[in-house]
Amino acid sequence: MKSKTNKVIILYSLATLFVVVTYHTVTQHFVTEQSISIYSFTKDIIFVVITTLLLKIILSKNEEINIRNFNKLKKINEAIRESNDKYDIVAKATSDTIWDWKLEEDHFSWNKGIESVFGYSQDNVTVDSNWWFDKIHPEDSIKMSVRLYSFIEQKTEKWQDQYRFKCADNTYKYVLDRAFLLKDKNGKAIRMIGAIQDITKQKEEENRLKLLETVIIQSKDSIIITEPKSEQSKIPNIIYINPAFSAMSGYTSHEIIGKSPDLFKSLNSDDDALNQLFKAIKQKKECQIETILLSKIKKEYWVRLSMVPIFNSEKELSHWVSILRDITLEKKQEKEKEQLIRELTQNNKDLKQFSYITSHNLRAPLSNLTGLLQLLEETPIHDAELQEILHGFSQSTQLLNDTVSDLVKVITIKDKPSIIKENVNLEEIFHYVFQQLETMIADQNPLIELNFNANTLYTHKPYLESIFLNLVSNALKYKSEKRKLQLKITSQKVKNTTVILIQDNGIGIDLIRNKDKIFGLYQRFHLYPDSKGLGLYLVKSQVEIMGGTIEIESEIDKGTTLKLTFKNSK
Amino acid sequence: MLNQVLCVDDDPITLLLCKKVVERFSFCNEIITSTNGEETLHYFNTLLDSPASKPDLIFLDLNMPVMGGWEFLEAFKNPKYKDFHTTKIVVLSSTIDPNDLKKAQNYPMVIAFLPKPISKSMLEHLKEIVV
Repeated sequence: MKSKTNKVIILYSLATLFVVVTYHTVTQHFVTEQSISIYSFTKDIIFVVITTLLLKIILSKNEEINIRNFNKLKKINEAIRESNDKYDIVAKATSDTIWDWKLEEDHFSWNKGIESVFGYSQDNVTVDSNWWFDKIHPEDSIKMSVRLYSFIEQKTEKWQDQYRFKCADNTYKYVLDRAFLLKDKNGKAIRMIGAIQDITKQKEEENRLKLLETVIIQSKDSIIITEPKSEQSKIPNIIYINPAFSAMSGYTSHEIIGKSPDLFKSLNSDDDALNQLFKAIKQKKECQIETILLSKIKKEYWVRLSMVPIFNSEKELSHWVSILRDITLEKKQEKEKEQLIRELTQNNKDLKQFSYITSHNLRAPLSNLTGLLQLLEETPIHDAELQEILHGFSQSTQLLNDTVSDLVKVITIKDKPSIIKENVNLEEIFHYVFQQLETMIADQNPLIELNFNANTLYTHKPYLESIFLNLVSNALKYKSEKRKLQLKITSQKVKNTTVILIQDNGIGIDLIRNKDKIFGLYQRFHLYPDSKGLGLYLVKSQVEIMGGTIEIESEIDKGTTLKLTFKNSK
Repeated sequence: MLNQVLCVDDDPITLLLCKKVVERFSFCNEIITSTNGEETLHYFNTLLDSPASKPDLIFLDLNMPVMGGWEFLEAFKNPKYKDFHTTKIVVLSSTIDPNDLKKAQNYPMVIAFLPKPISKSMLEHLKEIVV
């Protein structure tokens, strides 16, 4: 620049000097006057020198101003560049998505976050604000735009909002958007710059915690959270109670927070249970107790309390969580039930005693009758009519005696005497049974088939004898007149049970009509003079007391099968 | 054959039956009767005062008014009656209470617990044990 100025000055002085010298040489030919010529020449030289000097002064002044301006501009430029660099660095470093909205032209631009956070490539993003609004969840968009425009119109001081923003994959992310306004010199908003923060994780966690909180708040069970440590062998102080506990105890939260649950103790609280609780607190172990507590209005109620220690990540006890359930009603019902059982047991005892006495009082005169009739048997009677009468008398007495002895068996079974079990040989038992029924068997001469694949049974012998005696005599009694009686008795092991089948081809029982009654008390299915309606009831009672089961299959005029199943246990 | 048998029962028919059966099957020479425990103790008290022949066997009922069979057995355990402790006792009852049978085992004098009525076969069985 300096050299340029000097060049201009030198050029100027040389040019003017050339003009002056040329002019002087020319005038020397036409002007004779020497003095005038020298004077004019001198004057021109002086003029050239002066103007050159003037030019130099002006130019250098101008140059100074130029340099100053230049330096100023250079500084401004540098500042701008630095600022731009800083913006780029921050925009790159932040995880936020930055947007820039020129309001008048409605020009909207996004930083790289729109791709990295929300998945939109810059080509897919249109440069107006509608694109932005389109991506806001419909449920959030109205509320959000109302607030936003009230900010742009500068009715509100600050703007930040939470809404759901749609990603490229059509899922939504919870975002926190914060922005500021740039204004022109008239104070009109011309530009808005914002930063969107992805808060999906925080929001999801918040929602999860809210959900978990509802469990505690809405729970019908009472929940108390207490401090980890206690003072002076008290239960640790309360730091939280849920509404269910308030409802149960009558205490509001602020009345008991910071206090020990000891104040719920009643005089009737179970000391053993409380000691158990203190022991658990000492050992930092969970425990479950049932006790009586006292409500705010001094009303007693029963609770089932379960107290669990909560440990933090350092495995230090941080809290105790107690869950309480009001079991007053349960306890009341339990008490009533116990009372009922006591009464029933007493009634049962009384009834049993009654049945013993009744049967004794029946049996005593009956045994006299039997004894006297036995005496008569040895006495010769010559009167035929008297003999007939005495025979009827004897038969009736025998039947009455059988009935009473069956009833007595029923009573004693219900009394569950201690059953002594032993290994019983089935073949021997049936041998004994057939001996007992000797006369009946001789009368009917049935075809008897025995097949004992499983011959021994570990059970109560007298009951087993009684059962088979009953069942075989039934088969003999209820035989068909149309055919010879066939009796088939088999036993075999099936898995871990022994199954005994007693099959006959007798008159059968109409099971469709009598299904429910077949093993009932005083149920008779045939007009048979000896039938008392006790046999099958007695058999079933005896089978069941021995831990077995009995089933029946029967068809009218075809026959009956009884299936006995006993467990093979020792 | 036994010399003397005592039959204790409040029911006169039972006593009658007992007498008849014992006589018919020549179980003993003499049969005497008593209607309850207290009367029986009285009888033994008189025997203490004026000794005479004592019974070899007692048929004892359990349910009797004034003093029942159990009460009698308790009282009879008294050392006062030790001279009579060779006398065998047979409980003859129509009870069906299983506890009665267990209870009877506590008295060593009781050699049998038999159901009524008294019968020929019963006497034959007893003869084998006692004689």
